[in-house]
Amino acid sequence: MSVRRKGPKATAIRVATYVLLLAVAVVVIFPFLVAVTTSFKRNTDIFTYPPSLVPRAAVTVPAEQVGLEGDPVPVYTFPARDDRSGQWALVDNDASLAEFRPLDDLERIIVLAVTDGDKTGATITIDGEAEDVFLIDDGGTQIEAYRSRLTSGGLFVSVGNPDDTVLDLVNFATPVQEFGPRFENFTEVLAERDPETNGKGVGRSLTNTVLVTMLVVLGQIITSILGGYAFARVQFKGRSTLFMMYLGSVMIPFVVLIIPLFQLMLQVNWRDNLVALIIPFAFSAYGTFLMRQFFLGIPAEIEEAALLDGASRSTILWKVMVPLARPAIATLATFGFLYAWNSFFWPLVIINSGNPDNAVLSLTLSTLGGRSSTDTNLVFAGAILAMTPPILVFLFAQRYFVENSASSGLK
Amino acid sequence: MRFRDRGPREPRVTVATGIRMVTIWHLFGVAAGVTSMLLASRTGDDELPVAIKLLMQVFSIVVTVAHVVAAYGTFRGLRRARTVSLVTNYLLFVVAGSALLHQVGAFTAIGKFGTGLNKAFLPFLVIVVGLLWVLVAGQLLSNRPHATGPTALRKAGWGLAAIAAVWFVIAADPSGMLSTLADRITQPLTIGTAIVTVGAGMATRFMWQRRVAVHFGTSAAEEQTLSGLAFLSPNLIGFMFFFAGPLLFSLVVSFFEWKTTGTGRTFVGIDNYVRAMSLDISSADAANAGNEVLKSGYQVLMHLDWFGQNWVLGARDVEFWISLRNIFIFLVLAVPASVLPALVLSSILASRLPGMKVFRAIYFVPSVAGVIGVAIIWGQLFQSTVGWINYIILRAGEILPFVDPPADGHPWVSSNSTALLSMVVVFAWMNFGFNTVLYLAGHQSIPKELYEAADIDGANVWQVFRRITVPQLRNTTFYVLITTSILALQLFDIVWILSTPEPGGPNNATTTPVLALYEEAFQGNNQGYASALAWVLFLIIFGFTFAQFRQQKDGATSGGVS
Repeated sequence: MSVRRKGPKATAIRVATYVLLLAVAVVVIFPFLVAVTTSFKRNTDIFTYPPSLVPRAAVTVPAEQVGLEGDPVPVYTFPARDDRSGQWALVDNDASLAEFRPLDDLERIIVLAVTDGDKTGATITIDGEAEDVFLIDDGGTQIEAYRSRLTSGGLFVSVGNPDDTVLDLVNFATPVQEFGPRFENFTEVLAERDPETNGKGVGRSLTNTVLVTMLVVLGQIITSILGGYAFARVQFKGRSTLFMMYLGSVMIPFVVLIIPLFQLMLQVNWRDNLVALIIPFAFSAYGTFLMRQFFLGIPAEIEEAALLDGASRSTILWKVMVPLARPAIATLATFGFLYAWNSFFWPLVIINSGNPDNAVLSLTLSTLGGRSSTDTNLVFAGAILAMTPPILVFLFAQRYFVENSASSGLK
Repeated sequence: MRFRDRGPREPRVTVATGIRMVTIWHLFGVAAGVTSMLLASRTGDDELPVAIKLLMQVFSIVVTVAHVVAAYGTFRGLRRARTVSLVTNYLLFVVAGSALLHQVGAFTAIGKFGTGLNKAFLPFLVIVVGLLWVLVAGQLLSNRPHATGPTALRKAGWGLAAIAAVWFVIAADPSGMLSTLADRITQPLTIGTAIVTVGAGMATRFMWQRRVAVHFGTSAAEEQTLSGLAFLSPNLIGFMFFFAGPLLFSLVVSFFEWKTTGTGRTFVGIDNYVRAMSLDISSADAANAGNEVLKSGYQVLMHLDWFGQNWVLGARDVEFWISLRNIFIFLVLAVPASVLPALVLSSILASRLPGMKVFRAIYFVPSVAGVIGVAIIWGQLFQSTVGWINYIILRAGEILPFVDPPADGHPWVSSNSTALLSMVVVFAWMNFGFNTVLYLAGHQSIPKELYEAADIDGANVWQVFRRITVPQLRNTTFYVLITTSILALQLFDIVWILSTPEPGGPNNATTTPVLALYEEAFQGNNQGYASALAWVLFLIIFGFTFAQFRQQKDGATSGGVS
């Protein structure tokens, strides 16, 4: 729709158009942005509210600065406490604490050490239970309170003044954070499967996916070139019948083939082996069709000239037709790549013994990111690794891809 | 153009001798066929399973007959004998070759090769880089045929790949693989298969020659057919073995009660189909009457209230019917959600304003990114406490008065009411970009004169869209609707990852027919019944596909998409 009018109204429409396009683009890009940033986060950072696009790391101070030895300690602030400004280092997150509730304000919680507070000897009934009444120190004044809970919490030391310490629940404190991407997510998810090092074995699956994809694409290209050439250029008996069969096969959804293919793989003992992902998919009716269409478009004179030169049919095919058919082969390779790289249902069915050495990327990722997933940051690192190659291939091969998906309509 | 075909060579074997040898080869074939028939029919302890036995017997008979005909024909020099001999030998070569590869474990070694590749990924990458280099250099070469530089570059690429290949072999350490290979090769059966493969291959090669064709007087048409089938054969064999054969087998299995393991294979006729489709309805006094008002074997599917009377609808396979209901709800929501935005956006992108190609590329990305990754991302976005969807709705509620966010975070995928809707969102997000590109192709066939005329008439944007774009894209719309529907009917991956607490959950709210089929076949081990489900689903999908083919046929005459 080429509306190339001028004037303020046309300009307004054009602005509105771009706003709409940009809005949709944001809807498309935003989830990917979330994925990329999540893949650089720490796991705890993913599950904080509100959600954020910035990978953050806790700010720490050297242990020596707060009069200790050992690992650096994380820094917190108490924004809700007016009387406690500045930064506080958490030196012990397992200190024994007691929660006291003043008798004149039962909603308030005062956190003190277990040893703090003196029993007055009196008791008070709270929710039907008798509780001891304590005298505790509340900012210099002694007030009556009862001990509602014994718990463990944090011992904080003021970063500026190591003598100033305070006990409080860690939940009441806000960690001080800075921008800090965690690159180890990628090395850990790729590393060999090992609970000790938290390795997830995605590297092995990546290798398998690369191998499977490569061989499927190679197989599809070779068989499609040969079949497409036969359909396009060789007059043989039964050609039209066979071609109709190929065309018709596109209508059959893969779910119908799942069970018999599974049985076949059992018979030849290919279950749980990468070969089951390769050989059955090295043939493509769509690819054959694509190559045939392209070969039909090559002028017959070129072939006839070569035939007169005494070349055999296979020489003509590989030396004349194939170099001319590069765009079609590129299209086929792109489609084959995306199909093989992303395929999930068949691997799920046939690679089913749970041996991670035979799994492909989509399968490993689905187990890793499934319902019992724990390391979300690593899952996202794996997802990024899985999504990047097909997206890159698409961006580089866009020309072939967009044009041909439009004309053939095959997904 | 010149071809570096191998020059004329002095044939080592004369035609007459060669044919005599082929005849003898075929006689051996007859003997082998009879032997294999006897082996297949053996009874006793090592009797073969029925299916394999039958297959081997049929195969043996075919092989024997073919060899008898070929032996007789080549001996008498009959015209058709060459064709029979060629086809027999070629197929024998393929079968024996595959069997040989199978026996030495070459196929399953691909899986083990993954281990080697994993150990030697870096040298592998260098090989790929080297080969890509060759390709790129080759490209340069073809652009500038007289330049000398690229040839050297190309050689450098080959050299790099070769060095990396050596490095690869060392790093991948295939010694274990090679020793197993040596072990297996020395088995007598393997040696026998190898002899058959080589013999059949040599016989094929001999009979294929031009001078042999002349000798037998093969007609040009026959020669064409042979060469056509030869080119098609790798493709056709795969097509038969991994598509046509399994398709028929699937139909057969659907009439059996069929287990993967054990001997539970009984013919049950159309029972599987009857079980899948059976419904029963009964009136009930109480509003929530249970299974007792239904025929035995039926379970409650849903309760209905018609004209003040309570009805109970039951089915034998409740889960399948629920999955059908789900998939139709999904279809009704997801298809418009992935087609309507495509229609509107494509109309804008077709305007050729600056930047349109960038937007087109961006919109396309979700459809290539891979469904598992996408589902994982959306799982996090839908998260009830820290997910972005709830956060954005909450923020929107602060600005926009009509947005009313729920007090606590809404659990999108674990709530009965929104689980399926969540799948719709992901599906539409993944597919609208692809549909946009399909529509863009449709736009190319709209005559520009229509827009110019509308422009002169002073039509506004909406009128142009409504009166020109939409009607002109009717055929494309139909095509896009059908392909999207076929895709939607096979929904599985998104549900497999996203639904919770188990696939299809909560409470079967997201169960789909493919999921039901998967569970029957691979978790319940009811492969016969699952095959019947597959064919029911296929018939539904076929309805859509058939409509599309009809439309395309009509479209060809009225200038639609092709």
